[in-house]
Amino acid sequence: MKALFRINLILSLLVALPLVVQAQDSRLQLGSLDHLAAKANQTVDVNVDERLMKMASKLFNEKDVDERQVKKLIEGLKGIYVRSFEFETEGQYSAADLQTIRTQLRGPGWTRLVNVTSKKEGNLEVYLLFNGDLVGGLAVLHSDPKEITVVNIVGPVDLDKLASLEGQFGVPELGIEKTKKNDEK
Amino acid sequence: MKDDYLWDKSGQPDPEIQKLEEILGTLRYQPRPLELPVPRRRSYFPLLAIAASVLLALLAAGVWLRVRNQSAPQPQEAKVVSTPSPVEEKKPEQIVPKVVPQEVIAVNHKHRHRPAPTALSKREREEALLAKQQLMMALRLTTEKLSLVHRKPQNTTPANQIKNQHRVG
Repeated sequence: MKALFRINLILSLLVALPLVVQAQDSRLQLGSLDHLAAKANQTVDVNVDERLMKMASKLFNEKDVDERQVKKLIEGLKGIYVRSFEFETEGQYSAADLQTIRTQLRGPGWTRLVNVTSKKEGNLEVYLLFNGDLVGGLAVLHSDPKEITVVNIVGPVDLDKLASLEGQFGVPELGIEKTKKNDEK
Repeated sequence: MKDDYLWDKSGQPDPEIQKLEEILGTLRYQPRPLELPVPRRRSYFPLLAIAASVLLALLAAGVWLRVRNQSAPQPQEAKVVSTPSPVEEKKPEQIVPKVVPQEVIAVNHKHRHRPAPTALSKREREEALLAKQQLMMALRLTTEKLSLVHRKPQNTTPANQIKNQHRVG
């Protein structure tokens, strides 16, 4: 009987371990926003996991400088997930919809870097997940009266590499300053 | 034959009686202390084992539901859906270059978990192309949103608030 109890205890711990590990994952659960698709005028839904990202990276041309930069950016990333909804009229989504995302971003490790509030362009929040000193994920939450957008990049995001995409493939100029460390290189 | 041996074990012993004595002697009374029944101590191991089994089953069910929810409703797809509107759209090209009403631009329902080979088959190449398209769309959208952060400090007005905050939670 004691042996049975011990086996059960060990198995319970083994089952619980992945749950604990998963809790530190930077992937957000965006499914709570899916109901907005029915009201939206335009919807963007992107789910690219690690496997798809690796497959896509094989199609980037190494000889092309721009594509090489994108390939470097996505190296090591575990996924990119986007939900964006544009509405014809205001008030199509509720504060609770945003709150479900913000609640997840209050979890351990997440840090809100920027919060921009503008009457014209809405509210923009940028979050980074830190695993120690390393960046383990990025989340961007943008909302205005007629739009709500959530971007979730899972994995080590290199903001310098992201900045290097400016002006390429239709990516607008951001003016993100590179860190001194990279400039020295 | 004298019966003295039977009476007081004197006289000539009868071998047959001696044999019977040896056989029946094992059943002779032997003095020993009284053994009182010890009250049985109740064991909690069966209860704990059952509780652990139930916990294990619940955890397994939770993991299974979580995995199922993650894989089923989000079939690794990327799509842009646009609903026709009576009013003219002001900026449809801001998110995607081409927006066709009720058209799914990129869908990948055939997602399978298997290691990608080095050389892509035709099907995998198509899948990879879609993934690349989705990837670029996501990066475009991300940088577009992040550009607001850069723009706001330059266009600071009294109505705008810019807050650089530290760790939350």
